[in-house]
Amino acid sequence: MDIDDILAEVDRAGVPQEARDLQSLTRLWVAERVAPEMQPYPEDLMERVLDRIAKQIEAIEEEAGNMDPKTSFKLVVVQTELERFKFLVRSFLRARIAKLDAHPHYYSSGTPYTFLSASERQYLSAHQALLARHYAASFLSQFPHSLQRLDDSAGGVNMVDVPDVDKAVICRVLKDNVGVVAVEGTDVRCDMERGDVWVIRWSAIKERVMAGDLELI
Amino acid sequence: MYGDAANKLIAHAARTRSLPTLPAPQTELIASIIAETRSLQSTVNTLLGPASQDPSSSIINDPGARVQLLTAYVCMRRNKRCLMAYARGRVERIAGSVWEGGKGMSSGGDGGEEGAEGGNLSPEEEDYARQYADLLAAYKGRWTDVDLTGSLEPPRDLFVDVRVLRDAGEIQTEYGTINLTKNSQFYVRQGDVERLIAQGYLQKLG
Repeated sequence: MDIDDILAEVDRAGVPQEARDLQSLTRLWVAERVAPEMQPYPEDLMERVLDRIAKQIEAIEEEAGNMDPKTSFKLVVVQTELERFKFLVRSFLRARIAKLDAHPHYYSSGTPYTFLSASERQYLSAHQALLARHYAASFLSQFPHSLQRLDDSAGGVNMVDVPDVDKAVICRVLKDNVGVVAVEGTDVRCDMERGDVWVIRWSAIKERVMAGDLELI
Repeated sequence: MYGDAANKLIAHAARTRSLPTLPAPQTELIASIIAETRSLQSTVNTLLGPASQDPSSSIINDPGARVQLLTAYVCMRRNKRCLMAYARGRVERIAGSVWEGGKGMSSGGDGGEEGAEGGNLSPEEEDYARQYADLLAAYKGRWTDVDLTGSLEPPRDLFVDVRVLRDAGEIQTEYGTINLTKNSQFYVRQGDVERLIAQGYLQKLG
């Protein structure tokens, strides 16, 4: 442990929970927008953020009647901040829903399913049922029986589309001693140092991003 | 030839993507694809029919029949994929317009989606649009504070200049009531008028 680590330690301890939440939410939001796959739903973080949004709205409503110019200026600042937070949450959730709709079968089982929040699971199953009904009503019910499945993999072609995990993403290294990242199927080895920026396949760094060693940009 | 109709349908689907509104569904084409698939299936059945009763007369020894079987098999699957892709493309458009608040939804209850897509939805698609709107409303209900269908542009200012394009009546804001008459201009909180901008009543001024 050298002086930088100690300083980093102090830095982390000195930053209040709210600021850290904002930072991690922003990080997750960026990651959700660029990564080809969905990431685990940050249950606790979202709860804290939504809680704070609700409190802010309440506080604003209380202060709204106040005509004192000083408070109304403060109110404008608070409201602006609130709008930004709302945007962040909204865009984050929408990015997740968009991914869910793009590859519904992929997310409806196995590990990807565990990444969803309870309401996202409900949305997914409801939307799946709705789509299945729609396809059946439109044409699928008139097809021969053997062809009516939606997740057919016979004939060498799998009907279920999966996200392209080999998509290139741009990431920044956040921690020391991340070590060497190997890209599967190639001879590429990346020796990652703190502060480095790499363009690399998502599949190679997925675990490290989720562990917080890297951030996507 | 097998697959021609499906090919046309895919060409339609590709063109649909660049059109501003959803065109009417290709009902005839779809029906002909379904008919083709069914006739292929009956071909398969007649080919396989004798084989299932008498394994010794198996068509496995007849290369011609085997090729016919394979062709039918592949064509049916291809037809299905093309139909799925076509339907999916349309469904995504419909879902997208539901997310955007379904312009024209307010004009007439049932089949309100007609306004958005020029009445070019099949009955099944209208059903889908209605049910998806319900589903969306249910999901949105969990995030009342955030308003999921709000703008996806990062907010820059709390207040914006807007010009009224169509009479929208009065709206309540915390700074009092504003009467939105055509061609007037206001400086209002973006959150208050988001909906009206999306619905085309107001225009945001740069």
